[in-house]
Amino acid sequence: MNGLGALVRLTLRRNRWFYLAWVLALGAMVPATAAAYETLVGGLAGDGALDLMAANPTMRAMLGPPTDLTTPGGFTVWRVGTFVATAAGVMGLLGVVRGTRADEEAGRTELLRSGVVGRHAPLTAAVVVGLAACALLGLVVTAGMSAVGEPVVGSLALGLGVALVAASFVGVGALTAQLTSSARAARGLGLAVLLAAYLLRAVADAAPQHSVTRGLAWLSPVQWMALARPYAGERWVVLLLPAALTALLVAAAFALESRRDHGSGLWTVRPGPDRARPGLLSTTGLAWRLQRGVVAGWLAGLAVLALAMGSLSGTFDQMVREVPQLAVVLQRLGQGTDRLVDAFFVALLGLVAVLVAVVGAQLWERLGAEEERGHAELLLATAVPRTRLALSHLAVAVVGSLVLLVAFAVLLAVPESVSRGDAGPVGSTVGAALALAPGSLLVVGLAVLLHGWAPRLGWLVWVVIAWSFFVVWVGSLLGLPGWLVSLTPWDPLPALPVEPMDWPAVLLVTGAAAALMALGVWGYRRRDLRLP
Amino acid sequence: MGVIEIRGLVKRFGSTVALDGLDLVVEQGEIHGFLGPNGAGKSTTLRILLGLLRADGGSARVLGGDPWADAAQLHRRLAYVPGDVTLWPGLTGGEVIDLLGRLRGGLDERRRAELVERFDLDPRRRSSTYSKGNRQKVALVAALASDVELLLLDEPTSGLDPLMEAQFREVVRAGSTDGRTVLLSSHILSEVEHLCDRVSIIRAGRTVETGTLSELRHLTRTQLDVELAVPVPTELVSAPGVHDARLDGHRLTCQVDDGALGDVLARLSPLGIRSLASSPPTLEELFLRHYDRGGGREPRP
Repeated sequence: MNGLGALVRLTLRRNRWFYLAWVLALGAMVPATAAAYETLVGGLAGDGALDLMAANPTMRAMLGPPTDLTTPGGFTVWRVGTFVATAAGVMGLLGVVRGTRADEEAGRTELLRSGVVGRHAPLTAAVVVGLAACALLGLVVTAGMSAVGEPVVGSLALGLGVALVAASFVGVGALTAQLTSSARAARGLGLAVLLAAYLLRAVADAAPQHSVTRGLAWLSPVQWMALARPYAGERWVVLLLPAALTALLVAAAFALESRRDHGSGLWTVRPGPDRARPGLLSTTGLAWRLQRGVVAGWLAGLAVLALAMGSLSGTFDQMVREVPQLAVVLQRLGQGTDRLVDAFFVALLGLVAVLVAVVGAQLWERLGAEEERGHAELLLATAVPRTRLALSHLAVAVVGSLVLLVAFAVLLAVPESVSRGDAGPVGSTVGAALALAPGSLLVVGLAVLLHGWAPRLGWLVWVVIAWSFFVVWVGSLLGLPGWLVSLTPWDPLPALPVEPMDWPAVLLVTGAAAALMALGVWGYRRRDLRLP
Repeated sequence: MGVIEIRGLVKRFGSTVALDGLDLVVEQGEIHGFLGPNGAGKSTTLRILLGLLRADGGSARVLGGDPWADAAQLHRRLAYVPGDVTLWPGLTGGEVIDLLGRLRGGLDERRRAELVERFDLDPRRRSSTYSKGNRQKVALVAALASDVELLLLDEPTSGLDPLMEAQFREVVRAGSTDGRTVLLSSHILSEVEHLCDRVSIIRAGRTVETGTLSELRHLTRTQLDVELAVPVPTELVSAPGVHDARLDGHRLTCQVDDGALGDVLARLSPLGIRSLASSPPTLEELFLRHYDRGGGREPRP
């Protein structure tokens, strides 16, 4: 363990912004939800409307089992608690892989290990810093919830629960980093474990009461925070589960690290084809090959979201008949329409249009990564013109994001179409989604423009996206001034079918997106390539 | 007309001047060594020749075209191996060779197979599992298997073992006899000495010396190793044109300016020469002398 202190300081320095961003974003979400309890729920609490929503299998599958919805604390645990614990698990997982396998793959660890640094010191440093970040997040959650007036004991249970669930995934990341030889595979494997844990508890929570399946939730690490019942008669002993799992996984990671060579994983990488298939042999083929995993991942996530939300829509009419107040909340979110399913779809499509812009920007930004890794240098030294390379990545970004948007709309409307025996809802939902598509393309256009002319300002795209999320999620609830809320790429576009189709607006935004893209590609042709 | 003609090339990155009026001419069919210490501007020059970077001043022509404006057309006729080859981790070596070959306009299948064999490369392995040397081999096979007129190689053998380095020299030499032009940037002086017809030495973004190896040696000194019948008189150490002299009883080793060689020998022969060995300076000695001269380091005594 020589050099551990110095390594911990190095790891802290290299990862401080990564961890701080996660801790602040997740840590703020929890007390913000509790503080918005009155606004979000209003007078619904007493009438059993929330209980009805909470009893709906889809809602249970998405959010987890409600314990006590009559207090802001209990409501927060149900509404965002499991989500925050799971997201914190992502933080722990990615953070520890960054500090271990990613550095080892890049050859940085070798440099350190050749100095006076023990075999396990880099892993120890990454785990220590990861656990410290989990503890900090727990502290922020506890302090934040206490600060908005929730009971300190429950807040401590929530904070500790979130921190320990996240810590389990520090353990998962430490372990997968020993198994695979690439950071990408270590992240993928860890995220697959996390997704499986989330799906396991979703299946368990959606099962009927008294069914044996419900017990499966105990096997899912992301559920353990909720099972400790913060604000609803805390069961502290449950929190021993994640603590024990963390210890076990970290110990296993150390044991495995002793048994492998530096630079290799315990799992060997399988060999691949010795010749390229024709589909790979173009810049577009290559761009697709590099990005298809990203597109498939988003497709899987959005498909689950679409089917879950779509099946929820079928139960609306019944719910609203029993609890008329629910309609008010939905209408407020959905531009004031009378038809609740429409209002719900409009609100959801607005959100997914922003998500699709995230995908588009992410797919486009691969080109920048290709430059910084030196891959673009190899390609542009062949007979590939810059314009073609840029257009290949742009094509994957535009087509990929549009396909995701349409797929989401189709899957969202399928349950309603099936229950009505009529394809109408699919068509109209796809139309509504496509009417929002130009906004997503405008964001991609901005990313292209920045990459062509000022690649260092690429982060501005993410400011636009973050602002749009904020407006879509809470803008209409917080009563912000109208001009401020209208500052998003989607604002000029019609919210079909609640608003009428507005061709000039759609064409204008599409034209603006195309113009930004053309300008950006032109700039990309003119500037120096970014090199490693 | 040269395959590469660079005159007064200037490139700035912010306030840093990377190239400061560089000149370089590479003639048809020659293997041209491109020498310089780290940061001298070798890679920057190659990247300007490839149209990846845009020059701030001066002129550059490659194969008769403008490397910036005609990049894609010119690249059909040339191949490039970067100094630090990074490949897509999920692709196999074979896939990368095929991809780069196709994007350049096609590979010679027979040569591809021969080179994979010769460099002992396993094309089925994922790039993430390759060592630096193996990644370099992938880029070398892709470059050498294509039918091009010009090869731009940026320290292509820095990761290869001596066996593979020998293979590399053989392939490059064979290509050169077929009329190919090669610009070889390198640190490995023995490689340059073995392969190159002409050499350009650059420092701080300027060309300080260019010519054939024998031309360069002409301007320089000869290493002498003499054993005399009598103890070496000490005044020889300070004779005009004598440098780096070391006395050891009857033995004298020193470097002599080529112009002063006759005079020095004339002074030595009356003393009774028992043995005399003279050797031309190695490239390494040339190289070191150029960097020492005003290069920030102390001048050699």
